[in-house]
Amino acid sequence: MRALGRWGRRHANLLFLLPALILIVFLTVYPLVRVFYLSLYRYNPIRRIERFVGLGNYRRLFADRFFLTGLRNTFLFSVGATLIEVLLGLGLALLFNAKFRGRKLLLPLVIFPMMFSTMVICAIWRSMYHYDYGIFNYALRTAGFQPVKWLISQDLALWSVMLVDIWQWTPMAFLILLAGLQSIPGELYEAARVDGATGARLFRHVTLPLLRNHIFLALLLRSIDTFKIFDKVYALTGGGPGTATETISFYIYREGFRYFNMGRASAAAVVMFLAVSVVSFIYIRQVWRGEG
Amino acid sequence: MVRKIFLMFLFLLCVAALALPKEKLVIAGRDGGYGAALQIAVDLFMERNPDVEIELLKLPYKGLYEKLVIDLSAGGGAYDIVMLDDPWATEFMSLGWLAPLEELGYTPDPDFVPTALSVCRYPYPDGTLYALPHVGNVELFAYRKDLFAKYGLASPPKTWADVLEAAAVISANEPGVYGVVFRGRKGNPIVTGFLPILWGFGADIVKDGEVVLNSKEAVAALKFFLLLKQYAPEGVEIWNSSEVKEALLAGDAAIAIEVWPAWVPDLDNPEKSKVVGKVEIAPAPGLVEKSSPMLGAWLLGISSASRNKELALEFLKFVTSAEIQKVLTLKAGHAPTRVSVLTDPEVVAKYRWFPSQLAALEAAVPRPRVLVWSEIEGILGEYLQLALIGELSPEKALAEAAGRIAEVLGD
Amino acid sequence: MNIWRATRLAKRALFWAVLLSVMVFVLFPIYWMLTTSFKEPLEYATRTPSWFPHRITFQHYREIWKEGAYRYFINTVLVSLGSTLLSLGIAFPAAYGLARFRFPAKLDLIFLLWVLLVRMAPPVVLAIPLYTTLQGLGLLNKLTGLVIAYQVYTLPYSIWMLLRFVRDVPIEVEEAAAIDGASRLRTLVAIVLPLVGPGLVATAIFAVIMTWNEFIYALLFLRRPEVFTLPIHISHFITEYEVLWGPLMAIGITSSLPILILSGYVQKHLLRGFAISFK
Repeated sequence: MRALGRWGRRHANLLFLLPALILIVFLTVYPLVRVFYLSLYRYNPIRRIERFVGLGNYRRLFADRFFLTGLRNTFLFSVGATLIEVLLGLGLALLFNAKFRGRKLLLPLVIFPMMFSTMVICAIWRSMYHYDYGIFNYALRTAGFQPVKWLISQDLALWSVMLVDIWQWTPMAFLILLAGLQSIPGELYEAARVDGATGARLFRHVTLPLLRNHIFLALLLRSIDTFKIFDKVYALTGGGPGTATETISFYIYREGFRYFNMGRASAAAVVMFLAVSVVSFIYIRQVWRGEG
Repeated sequence: MVRKIFLMFLFLLCVAALALPKEKLVIAGRDGGYGAALQIAVDLFMERNPDVEIELLKLPYKGLYEKLVIDLSAGGGAYDIVMLDDPWATEFMSLGWLAPLEELGYTPDPDFVPTALSVCRYPYPDGTLYALPHVGNVELFAYRKDLFAKYGLASPPKTWADVLEAAAVISANEPGVYGVVFRGRKGNPIVTGFLPILWGFGADIVKDGEVVLNSKEAVAALKFFLLLKQYAPEGVEIWNSSEVKEALLAGDAAIAIEVWPAWVPDLDNPEKSKVVGKVEIAPAPGLVEKSSPMLGAWLLGISSASRNKELALEFLKFVTSAEIQKVLTLKAGHAPTRVSVLTDPEVVAKYRWFPSQLAALEAAVPRPRVLVWSEIEGILGEYLQLALIGELSPEKALAEAAGRIAEVLGD
Repeated sequence: MNIWRATRLAKRALFWAVLLSVMVFVLFPIYWMLTTSFKEPLEYATRTPSWFPHRITFQHYREIWKEGAYRYFINTVLVSLGSTLLSLGIAFPAAYGLARFRFPAKLDLIFLLWVLLVRMAPPVVLAIPLYTTLQGLGLLNKLTGLVIAYQVYTLPYSIWMLLRFVRDVPIEVEEAAAIDGASRLRTLVAIVLPLVGPGLVATAIFAVIMTWNEFIYALLFLRRPEVFTLPIHISHFITEYEVLWGPLMAIGITSSLPILILSGYVQKHLLRGFAISFK
């Protein structure tokens, strides 16, 4: 018993980590290792095809117009949505950092969108986007404008999907940044004002640098989620029209779960992994450097 | 594999130990009208067999195939009876996921429309029987006879050329009415929308295990499809059945090249339709080939992993019997698969297009009987849409699609 | 003086105009959802949509109640709370361990990196191996199985969030406790836990939101209606031939109600959580 206690003290670090370690290994290491392994095979569990193809799946991926468009769209979507959400979130945070009547009432309302089920959100936006029956085009027509081909136009569809994401998740960026703004001590502003800084300069030289970490966190969290974009595509456009809203997640879902080409889907997943690892490395370095 | 068998064995032991007091069946069925009809049958069956409990899952089409495949291929046994779309049949049957019915003591009934029964067999068309035809869906062609009469158009249109002409005339003269509507959404919808045209032009996707999509006839059919699109509404490239149905019910569409018995009854329902009695239902037109309506039957099969196969078969026999089919047809607008029901005077009095439906069903062409249909459909659906939105020329789209389909078939 | 007042007035006006347009953008879709859920079927399927319901009807709410939506509601609560609690219970000690101990061979770094990768990986990728694993354990079609599967989402997230919170606890506090002779575990429960409280709440809230609306895993791992969660039930209102707008919106509103009511609370805690996370 005592020996056990001594062992426990010596290996306390492991004891704390152990439950998480076990669960993570169980839930992810095996599946992920398998994903890497399968990406080297032509593997279809339903049709019982299994043969080694080396890098064949990867070669094929980069010759596949659907995958390439998906890659492009995913990056476009992720970068676009993240930047816009953080920018809008920052604007909103500045707005709500001011004191005004009704602030307490409006604040909870602003974060409503992120609490609805994505399926419902997509359904309502799809109905509002409808070319003939949608409320947006109805409003445009009554105001004498041309209707907009929200989800129909190849050039617009991805942006329309993005708008839904912006609507749903800007509140998240907003909350993070508002928290950041509120944690800046008022004395700092006082001091800067004494030095003669006003408005834009105050923002650039005091607010922004102090908000750096929070902006970084917002960018990171939103880019991770937008990079995975799946359910909105599933519910709004099915990847169409054409390849306009094709994304990697959707490609993986289709190859893996509709056609059960698990090898090819795994290869796409590995590519996606490598892309996100780059981002994680940047983040980890930041965290380690910043916090020792 | 050994582990799997061991686990299955363990699972079976547990189940045996529990020994449920009531016999229970789980049916993986469809939502909407299909679900409502099947529910009536389920309720009737339970009424007559009080010691049986049946649970009917009403699943949406989207994702149904994936669900069934995942469960059946793993021998999960979550469902006793599955409702499957006929093009999936080859895959489900050849991989042994469904129980052969004759072995369970079933003898097929000659009253079923032969085309619908033959897709229940593997190898097609006269192998072992693995399922029973439940919904006698067949693609129909709908047009507004009032508008056709107004402009003196051939009624019903005999060829696809007639259809194009009618769409042009009506589009030009009837503001607010689309000349033609169809499903343009990529994947299954656009393929089902386009296949009758493809067949009507004498082309095909796969013949004797070889891709034949890259043909002159197929290109002509696709070019025709694009011509037709000029008279279709803005955004038809994302239309699915619900949009087609809404447009037709609202009186906004003159022609729908592809409608299904499952919702055709709504057209004469004054609560939903503004065009009661104005829409005529006909078999799809031909051009080179004779009319080639597509078969879209829904079958009921018993999962090989079911532990209640005998009971499941009892239910299958019950729900496909003439008596019950008639009830479902009259009560829920079910599309029957039995000649006796399709010609029943009481039924025909209620659904005036049933003679057309029977004719279409008897002439119906099933989709290719291949193992990998759903992937082929997916690929074709992608490329057809690229052609529809003008990103690829018809020649290039079909050539690329043919290449990828050949690759799939080659595995 | 006058000019100065005028610019101040203009600034105020601009402020309120911006605020107003923001609120309209945020609330309009919700308003649309709400009104649609009270409209009669004939009213929402027209070319000229109406801004208000002409006649308010509760038929859609009655319908979803009659169909037994509360069962899915209970399931969702169970799954959501279950996975959140499990996650926190495992992530808190892990975060503490990572923040306070040294690990051989950079195990901590590797672990964190792996966790982050998992957090970023699309859930679809893990679905097939997870499916076979859950099936082997007999946890398919079980809420417990879903709770375990959801750790893929919530655990990495919780570990990273809590790690930041634990790092914010000054180590001196613990050292003081250690000098007083408190054991490590006691320190953890009696000293660190209360200090990390707001962080735990913020993490929990976010985990609840995440699991409350999760779709893919629920879609793949739950096959029987008695275990369906709300998002799955909701998706059944979009059928092949029509979208049942009224009931869909009614269930959408109802299912989000609990989180919406808590919105003020949620916002306060998330705000506090994010605030200390980077000090």
